[in-house]
Amino acid sequence: MNKFTKTIQRSVLRKAALVFGLLGITAALFPVDSQALPLFARQTGQNCVACHAGGQFPELTPYGRSFKLTGYTIGDRVSVPLSVMGLATYTKVRDTSKSDNPAGDFSKNGTALASGGSLFLGGKITDNIGAFVQWTYDNFAVQNADGGYSGHSGTDNVDIRYADRFIDTNRDLIFGVSLNNNPSISDPWNTAAAWMQYVPVPSPTSSQFIDGAAPYPGFGSGGNLAGVNLYMYLNKLVYAELGTYQTANGIFSPMSAGLTDASRTKLKGVNNPYWRLALTHEWGPHNIMVGTSGMIAHLYDDNTNTSDPNSVYRVLNTGLDAQYQYILDPHTITAQVAYMRQRTNYSANTVAANVGAGSPSGFFAADGSTLLADPNDSDTTNTFRGKLTYVYQAKYGGSLAYFNLTGTTNTALQTSGYDATSTIVVDPAVSRVNANLSGNPATRGLTYEAFWMPVQYARVGVQYTAYSKFNGATDNYDGLGRNASDNNSLFFYVWGAY
Amino acid sequence: MKKIILTLAVGLAAASSGCSNLERSRDLANPNVPPAVTAVQVCSNCHGVDGNSVSPNFPRLAGQQPAYIIEQMQNFRSQHRSDPAGFEYMWGLSHHLTDDQIKGLADYFAKQVAQPNAPADVQQMAAGKEIFEKGLPAKEAPPCMACHGPKGEGLASFPRLANQHRDYLVKQLQVFQRTDERPNTPMTQIAHLLSHEEMESVASYLQAFPNDK
Repeated sequence: MNKFTKTIQRSVLRKAALVFGLLGITAALFPVDSQALPLFARQTGQNCVACHAGGQFPELTPYGRSFKLTGYTIGDRVSVPLSVMGLATYTKVRDTSKSDNPAGDFSKNGTALASGGSLFLGGKITDNIGAFVQWTYDNFAVQNADGGYSGHSGTDNVDIRYADRFIDTNRDLIFGVSLNNNPSISDPWNTAAAWMQYVPVPSPTSSQFIDGAAPYPGFGSGGNLAGVNLYMYLNKLVYAELGTYQTANGIFSPMSAGLTDASRTKLKGVNNPYWRLALTHEWGPHNIMVGTSGMIAHLYDDNTNTSDPNSVYRVLNTGLDAQYQYILDPHTITAQVAYMRQRTNYSANTVAANVGAGSPSGFFAADGSTLLADPNDSDTTNTFRGKLTYVYQAKYGGSLAYFNLTGTTNTALQTSGYDATSTIVVDPAVSRVNANLSGNPATRGLTYEAFWMPVQYARVGVQYTAYSKFNGATDNYDGLGRNASDNNSLFFYVWGAY
Repeated sequence: MKKIILTLAVGLAAASSGCSNLERSRDLANPNVPPAVTAVQVCSNCHGVDGNSVSPNFPRLAGQQPAYIIEQMQNFRSQHRSDPAGFEYMWGLSHHLTDDQIKGLADYFAKQVAQPNAPADVQQMAAGKEIFEKGLPAKEAPPCMACHGPKGEGLASFPRLANQHRDYLVKQLQVFQRTDERPNTPMTQIAHLLSHEEMESVASYLQAFPNDK
């Protein structure tokens, strides 16, 4: 056992002992009680396992999906429709030595952290209207000049919906409309882009190699938008959803509250359609979904300048996903696969600037004089993710996830390369650990997770993410000797909600 | 976009004026919601709109004895039945239901027709049939049909067992045998007489109960 491993082991064990002790005290003070639960559980009076498969948030059971699709309206309206969620984490990256600035690149490496939290507001409003609104505080949101961090809070996920259901022995039709701020946040399956991520995840700035680098099938538009989606679910067989998105400004500005103008995504107009189609089937303790989704988004190059029509680029996403669940107490098994293709056509301004530009960062071929190819006018990425999860007694669980991002090579992605003296240098705007010598985005790896839920509103878990490819290469992806496996990361967390 | 939103907002406000839609409500704290509405809007999510639940996590209620449903719902509401299936799902759902609503729900599911359930292992069924019809004389375990009827149809507080999910039956027998989570029932004593294999056999027979019987 090497020194690194021993250090991790000692540190993790010490923190684990502290955390488990605190959890034990918590469990003793607040015994499992169907009333002492977060927002939706208080509304229905049910345990987490009713809606979340094996009790693991956020994956939904068939009943949880019905609860969501019927507008969060099952149960009694609660007097204080609030919940809180908090997260403490510890992360360790395998190799922090191959960095020009280890203190900056891995500033929180090997340190136990309180990693922010969320406030939830919502639940049943009327017989037909309900809401799920998440406000998140990230205590590492902004890095200051002195190297310290400042916290920042803002709107996270918003899904306010109206739903109705016509059901008798001959037909079952759920339909509704969702006002939301993130494409696919309205979706009830956890292979949807907004839900496929591991939960919890650390702050991107606290552990960039966990959720900052591991690719997920997502929508190129990103979140903090404003969208209206119509949906229907017929006879538990066909689910269809159609919507469109615009910038979350004007009367929609609360849907991106807390963000600066520069970080608020700017879409051109209202013609940014999103669609979703899924087929589902239940038999015995099994259920399966096979679906497709997509979106066309028109975005501005610069979020602070929406006056130039030539600065608009187009992103087309097309995805396929499938989910299988086996839920029969005490076992919960979930298999998920999701694939997303993303085609980006850059703006007219970008395309014009590409002509004769060579490498945007000024790199040359290895001879130090030959210009590199001009940046691409368009790019394509393909992201695949598969995940297998098992939970026993809604207490002990584990998962294995595989991710594989491939895409077109583009000199615009190249953030390290040869200068005029044939020496490899890194673009000063990028830290070396994120440098890309090949100009290819390919990233591949596995995430292993084990978790324990001592009580239904707390989870202790450990994830290990192993990269076999990073920024287009297995070895020496930055040109200065850093390998994909150097980014392998251990992530330990304690998550709680009330 | 703004026009769409404003139109929707006005429409939704109009549709929701009064905040109550008794014909399709999922409100469990409103005594005015008819039981048949609650049955299809809420109960059906797990138990099926016709009471023939798909998942064995949830018991089939089609053709169940109304007196049994009423008794169990009252036990959930008062939290006297505390097996996992009870407190995880039913305590909260039943918390504010009135006696009239519970009776209405019982009547709704009692009149539904039980559909055949999945077939079971032939050998297990044969052993289960023996237990169901003749009991286990060596252990002085009475036959199931003595209380639950020759067709497994139940009687008053004795529940219908025919076509019930095997997994649900075994788990409930284990609750009777190993816990006091369902008190005040003769099944506590009877379940202690059964081995796990015997539970599996009789539950298999009941799940695949022959319709022509």
